[in-house]
Amino acid sequence: MSFVNTATGTFYNRSLSQMSELRGNIERLQTQIATGKRLERGSDDPAAAAQLRQLARREILSTADASNAASVDQDLTSATTELAAVTNLLQRARELALGAASDTSGAAGREAIAFEIEQLGEELFARANAEGPGGEPLFAGLAAGPAFTRDGTGAVTYTGTTQSLSVPVGQGTEIERGLDGAQLFEFDVAGSPSNAFAVLRGLADALRGGTPDPSASASAAIEGIDAALTTVNRGQTILGARLAWVETVRQEQLDRSVAIAERRSEVGDTQIGDAIAKLQQSMTALEASQAAFTRVSSLTLFNAL
Amino acid sequence: MPTALFYIGRSGLTASRASLELTAQNVANAANPDYARRTLGQSELVMSASIGLNSSNSLGGVRIGGIERAGSALVQRQARDSASALANASAEYSAMREAETALENSGLFDNLIDFEAALARLESDPLNPALRVSALETARQLAATFGTADNALGNARLLTVSEAEADLLSVRGFADELARVNQDLVAAQEGTASKAALLDQRDAALRGLAEQIGIVPSFNANGTVDVTLSGSPPAALVQGGSAIGFDLSVAPDGTLSFEVDGQPYVPMSGAMAGRAAALGAIASLQTQLDGIAVSTVSLVNAAQGTGVAADGTPGQPIFAGTAAADITIVLGSGAGIATATAGAPAGSRDTTNLGGLITALGNSTGPTASVDALLLGLSSRVAGLDSQREGLGIVAASAEAELLRETGVDLDEEAANLVRLQQAFEANGRVIQVASEIFDVLLGLR
Repeated sequence: MSFVNTATGTFYNRSLSQMSELRGNIERLQTQIATGKRLERGSDDPAAAAQLRQLARREILSTADASNAASVDQDLTSATTELAAVTNLLQRARELALGAASDTSGAAGREAIAFEIEQLGEELFARANAEGPGGEPLFAGLAAGPAFTRDGTGAVTYTGTTQSLSVPVGQGTEIERGLDGAQLFEFDVAGSPSNAFAVLRGLADALRGGTPDPSASASAAIEGIDAALTTVNRGQTILGARLAWVETVRQEQLDRSVAIAERRSEVGDTQIGDAIAKLQQSMTALEASQAAFTRVSSLTLFNAL
Repeated sequence: MPTALFYIGRSGLTASRASLELTAQNVANAANPDYARRTLGQSELVMSASIGLNSSNSLGGVRIGGIERAGSALVQRQARDSASALANASAEYSAMREAETALENSGLFDNLIDFEAALARLESDPLNPALRVSALETARQLAATFGTADNALGNARLLTVSEAEADLLSVRGFADELARVNQDLVAAQEGTASKAALLDQRDAALRGLAEQIGIVPSFNANGTVDVTLSGSPPAALVQGGSAIGFDLSVAPDGTLSFEVDGQPYVPMSGAMAGRAAALGAIASLQTQLDGIAVSTVSLVNAAQGTGVAADGTPGQPIFAGTAAADITIVLGSGAGIATATAGAPAGSRDTTNLGGLITALGNSTGPTASVDALLLGLSSRVAGLDSQREGLGIVAASAEAELLRETGVDLDEEAANLVRLQQAFEANGRVIQVASEIFDVLLGLR
């Protein structure tokens, strides 16, 4: 009679490999729970790892987009603030010009008005050369230097470029971060090019006796001030529209980054509930096979001898 | 003739004691993986000569035969071949896993994205010195990371090469041992314990050798073995009592080449073949990494060349270097980053040139995409090797179980044998006692 020999070594080898596989499972699950990451290395799931890399790239680039949008937002807000002040200033100049045109004020009164208008002109010059939060000129277009310069005769000219910096804010969208000074402060009066600085300076000069009839010159200057107000108002409208656009873009960026984070979590994070259930299952199996191992391995004929 | 009873009893006692000893030997070696269980061959002893009154049917008891060693050439071969295939896949897997860890942990991909992001931030305010410095520093970090990745890959390669060199020694050791065993086997007598022990040594050495490198052994009638290495071309490693010279040389890029008896040889399986394949793959990874490094350098420097720096001067190269290991930053300050297009005046906020660079870095043939593809290819290969290794592991485990079933010691069976042989021993003793009593009866006759 012949028997199939079951070598004792086979039993031990098999039990050992089964138990070490269970232990390996448990350790892997435990790492997944502790780190919160489903993938320890790319080869755990190459496709998911590639997806995670793309998501990481989009996440980091969208942080750059978000900070770009925030910077555009700041610049546009600063420009709007400056333009609001410029509008107030021009309105005050218009009131003064109206007062001067009514001819009730004498030479001394006109001198006072001229002085105030001069001061307004200085303020306008300062505001036109205002800098943004990062120290860059707001209205100089692509140029690094001041937007307007004054020459020896007191004439102010635009030295910036007629093009503004377009900042990419993601998904192929670019927003210009300001308006150039030429668009804001230069205009035509009665068919000839002029600018807000020249209008105010001309008015002040006229009131100081630069023209034979100061009140008539003052009424004439009102036309120029109105033209300046119209240009600035138009600029404000454009900036307002851009600000609203930036707001929309920033909201979209926020939504998108939430979506990216969700996707990332879906692809790469441990599903804690699943992992704990699987861990429990593996632990039960390991305990059972350990118990079975000790029971079976004590079943040897030598015990009966 | 009553004295025959003594001889029969004595031969039985001897046979059962020898069997008991062999059982004890089996039990003692139950945990020895190289041991194949032994049994004692026995045959009946009958005297056939007839002289005088003696009949020709005179019984002589039992004759002890040789020691028989359990074994099956087929099962041994299955175990060897599957272990060889498993060692091949395992060696390749562990080397490629090192390479994967090296590339993933170097953070090359993350640094490339950081560089892209730093340039994108610079677009919002191109003359901002802080943003310029930050972009240049990310570039510096990127250059260092290329070096780290290359270095880490180099370490993975060195580790594998030194493993292969250690393996070379063990291949030579096994070949020498087989040659020595062959010499001893020629002299060993059939059926002796020492012959069985030599055969155990032979099979153990063949198994050890097969794990290192694929072999085709051919067995001779006297138990000696000639070993041919499987591969191209098949080459003899052990012939009779002599081992043939086996050597490997390592090329500067880490790839291995083998020589048997001075002739070039390519192994087909075993750990050596796995390491050779992995080292080939690592060398190609390093070439690809160098390619990506060089393309990054030329892409960035070309973009610099088409633009002007903050001060309006033509853009100068940012990177220098011809391989991943030697990339350095040569641009002195962040002000040198050519953001504006050529012809723009000093202090221009134009970002056309910068925009072009960012697009080039991020497009589907740019370095980011190339590194991503490299990592995807590598991790897919490692994942494939892992599942291949798992499958081969199951095959090897079942082949080993089969081998143990054929040749291993079953303690229950040995325990049963102990009881049976003990009883046989006692029974033979009883036979002698009976013979003695018969003599007493005969001697007591008056």
